[in-house]
Amino acid sequence: MSFLLRRLSFYFTAFLIAISFNFLLPRMMPGNPIDALFAAAQGKMDPAQMDAIKEMYGFMDGSFFEQYIAYIQSVFTLDLGPSVLMFPIDVTTVVGMSLPWTMFLALGSLIVALIIGVSIGTYSAYRRDGFFGQFVPPFLAFLSNFPYIVTALLLFYFFGLELELLPLAYTYDPSLAPGFSLEFIGSVAKHAILPMGSMILVGIATWVFNMRNAMINVLGEDYVTMAEAKGLSSYRVMYRYAGRNAILPVATAIAMAIGFSFAGSIMTEVVFNYQGLGNILLKGIMARDYPLIQAILLILVTAVLVANFIADLLYVWLDPRISK
Amino acid sequence: MKKPLLEINNLCVDYVSPNGVARAVNNVSLSIAPGETLGIAGESGCGKSTLAFAITRLHKAPALISEGEIIYNGRDILKMTNKELREFRWNDVSIVFQSAMNSLNPVITIGEQLTDVIVAHKRISVKQASIKAKELLTVVGIHGDRLSSFPHQLSGGMRQRVVIAIALALEPKLIIMDEPTTALDVVVEREILNELYDLKEKFGFSILFISHDLSLMGEIADRIGIMYAGNLIEIGDAKTVFNNPSHPYTKGLLASFPTIHGPKERLYGIPGDPVNLLNLPTGCNFQKRCNDCMDICKKDDPILAELNVDYKVACHKF
Repeated sequence: MSFLLRRLSFYFTAFLIAISFNFLLPRMMPGNPIDALFAAAQGKMDPAQMDAIKEMYGFMDGSFFEQYIAYIQSVFTLDLGPSVLMFPIDVTTVVGMSLPWTMFLALGSLIVALIIGVSIGTYSAYRRDGFFGQFVPPFLAFLSNFPYIVTALLLFYFFGLELELLPLAYTYDPSLAPGFSLEFIGSVAKHAILPMGSMILVGIATWVFNMRNAMINVLGEDYVTMAEAKGLSSYRVMYRYAGRNAILPVATAIAMAIGFSFAGSIMTEVVFNYQGLGNILLKGIMARDYPLIQAILLILVTAVLVANFIADLLYVWLDPRISK
Repeated sequence: MKKPLLEINNLCVDYVSPNGVARAVNNVSLSIAPGETLGIAGESGCGKSTLAFAITRLHKAPALISEGEIIYNGRDILKMTNKELREFRWNDVSIVFQSAMNSLNPVITIGEQLTDVIVAHKRISVKQASIKAKELLTVVGIHGDRLSSFPHQLSGGMRQRVVIAIALALEPKLIIMDEPTTALDVVVEREILNELYDLKEKFGFSILFISHDLSLMGEIADRIGIMYAGNLIEIGDAKTVFNNPSHPYTKGLLASFPTIHGPKERLYGIPGDPVNLLNLPTGCNFQKRCNDCMDICKKDDPILAELNVDYKVACHKF
């Protein structure tokens, strides 16, 4: 248990540091939302009106330190104030609507890429002298070296614009009512193919190479030779004896990949006009919507930390040598 | 002599490298009778482990069995299909690997590592197999509750016992032991070997015992074979090989062990280094290190020839 407690306290500290940066970053950007409004009104706004607007949005003057304390409080009470961009909707509500889509995109593509990548990696290490082992990994390396944005745009162009096979925008057909109907789920799946597909294509190679390298090391171990000498099926030798051990370094890499996956999701969402956090974040930044930007960064930080913690749990479960 | 259990005829194993072909096992022929312990000794790199691997065809590229046959109970192992080979492995011949510490998978319980081999070869349920596994652990002196332990929770000696239990799981006719006790201290080594011989009495398997520890070998083996640079250079009953060897290399090997009893004597090593397998001399491989080297040794390869009944030496002196 002490291992998990240690990890938990680490993540809590990381969280505190992250939200402090989160507080600082927008305040280091030039301009602020009220100034922007004031400029937009072209001098037709008097100071009293300005103060009224400030109060409405919940901005407070006070010293830097007072603002910081108020911010920390609002984080832990989840009362993040109204959004400037979508006033009077609460930031929490805005984020709540788009967060599931980003989670779906980022984690879904990560998991699919992981499963495909690890399987290919395992197999290509086992048959590394054959055609599969010689040809497939380099090809995937080629694919993964496109930045997210390029792969996304290429897919967007061919499947969306040229072939008109798949939808170009939104998370689901806006004419459908969300619900657990077959039609709605089908629409969500159809809309997810391109954004998720582009992230998977870019992501797979990482796992193939991680797994392949780990696997080649493990294949030289005595216990793999012994498993083979025991006359076990090659499937069992490959996955249970070698793969089971080779997955350990891969599990460590998952923690790091989660962050990258969220970052990739933000860009992909913008390309495909997918209604996730990334899209909202971009709009928020354009409108200098501090509360919204902060809330989204907060959510992303939390999501990455939570996912990392889950990766730690996974590692404990995978490797019995780590004390529980 | 009884009908042999395993017969190796003119076996050659090559390691193919960009610098040429290294013949790690060269034209080796030997046989093991049922219930017999055959020891194979020699220095590092002489091909003794390669020979052991060849018996269950565990070699992977770049190693290649290029010539010869290995007959087990009338069947040539080298001609088996993959399926036949898988059934043959462990059922008939099991292996205790060099550094048994590393031959247990660290993230799989020893119970699973014991039962999976039983389930893979016998038509019984996992439940029955784990009852059998418990018995096996008890046989090697480990409490049956240990089935759910992971290897890192056991001591080195216990892990070694587990490996032996796995080797016994299907009651094979032959167990190959590739330096099974090198990683253990002498006390544990002694304990385990004693138990092993009790088990041998009980189950009646043959052992191919591979080691560089000649004194240990002299004690436990019925016959001893000595290998040098891939060749079997002397083979015969353990007493004669140990007490009155013929080949100059065997003599050198034995002279390099200290005796516990008797007066203090200066130890002799064998001068020079082992030959490079990629660049073998013409004639006898041992010529440069041999004190009795003659002209013919530089021209012709010595052939393993019968010196006495069941005693063979490959040396021009005889």
